Amino acid sequence: MPDPIEFRGAGVRTHPEGRILLEPLDLSLTEQRVCVIGANGSGKSTLLRLINGLLLPTEGAVAVHGNDTRTMGRTVRRSVGFVFTDPLSQLVMPTGREDVELSLRTLRLPSGDRRERAGQVLRRFGIDHLADQSSYDLSGGERQILALAVVLATEPRVLVADEPTTLLDLRNDARMRSLLAGLDQQVVFTTHNLDFALESERTLVLDAGRIVFDGPADDAVAYYRELCGCAPSPGQ
Amino acid sequence: MRGFGATLGLYEPGRGFLYRTPLAVKAVASLACAVAVIAWRSPATTAVALLLAVGGLLVGARLSPARVLRMLLPAAPVLGILALYQGVAQDWLRAFVVVGGITACLLAARALTLTTRTQDLLDGVVRLVRPFRRLGADPERFALALSIMLRSIPYLAGLFVDVRQAARARGLERNPRVVVTPLVLGAVAYAHRTGEALAARGLGEGEPDEALPDEPTGP
Repeated sequence: MPDPIEFRGAGVRTHPEGRILLEPLDLSLTEQRVCVIGANGSGKSTLLRLINGLLLPTEGAVAVHGNDTRTMGRTVRRSVGFVFTDPLSQLVMPTGREDVELSLRTLRLPSGDRRERAGQVLRRFGIDHLADQSSYDLSGGERQILALAVVLATEPRVLVADEPTTLLDLRNDARMRSLLAGLDQQVVFTTHNLDFALESERTLVLDAGRIVFDGPADDAVAYYRELCGCAPSPGQ
Repeated sequence: MRGFGATLGLYEPGRGFLYRTPLAVKAVASLACAVAVIAWRSPATTAVALLLAVGGLLVGARLSPARVLRMLLPAAPVLGILALYQGVAQDWLRAFVVVGGITACLLAARALTLTTRTQDLLDGVVRLVRPFRRLGADPERFALALSIMLRSIPYLAGLFVDVRQAARARGLERNPRVVVTPLVLGAVAYAHRTGEALAARGLGEGEPDEALPDEPTGP
């Protein structure tokens, strides 16, 4: 059985002789919870976008469950859900219910079934009472949970989340992390919240487009703190 | 982002018989209104079309007269100029026929979008375009493009309000460049974000490269 996510010498440059956004990397992501940490501009989002084919590598290849993102892009995108940092980038319909229904259109369900299933999805995430409100009237936390529901409505096998808690307050941050922790899907996420990173089974540290550490979360976080010159003081 | 706050798209949940009327009936009525005011240009036709459109919104969608009038606000400057031109260049009865006819068509179309959920509208468009599949048309993609276009109208209107308020806050509201430049940039950014969001969700891409197998397959 092929690995869930595989990078085969995959790298990204702005153009053939241009700036390197991500150095070519060979990587196999098999763990259920994988985190990517690094400074702004280190290549975290680029790496994530390669996984569902939103971005194609300029060299090498990326495959998800054996499907190459270059040649099987549509198939890959149907099995890999992507949550953006800003949920408003993700929500394109006037209300939450309609946005979930839009996702379900890819399953070619009759409209009645689609509506019923959208209701079930919203109930599952505890936001059915917001179903018919404008996405712009929801709070940041509600929007992010709706964005997650919209993506998971089609039950993708892999979820990729680009800093899903960055715009959230403490309470919604905890709620989002708890929701992500309870998912059956493989989840690959980026974050600047090192406590969140510690919840992963494997953490990659990126620096200037290169993976400089790959291992257990606590070691990776300690390495990253040292890299940034902000190791915790004794007693912390 | 005050302008975006009121953005619920074109559909507004409500009660009234228009909400229960099938989409096909509303579409045919809206089309009939347009055909009638174009084919039979007379004050009587315009008056009847206006009466039916306004009556439909008041009774069928249970809107207040003030709400119906507010619907016409965005088009009011153009309608006003047109009425003035027709009245001065020809006569005021002619102005009523032309401007009243356009107003009736606008209200009839608005009655349809106001009382029809976007997803139902999408389903209707898919059914309408399905016969053209033989010519290579993709009904789902066509419907998606239409719904995104409809969604963009209130978004861009909201963006315009925000940009104008920002310009006013800086005392620059008289400089059109200060309003137009961020509006264009905002519209392009919105289009880019929407495209990326749809691509990330695999929407509008047609059938997958091949049927998704139950068990993963190798390359």
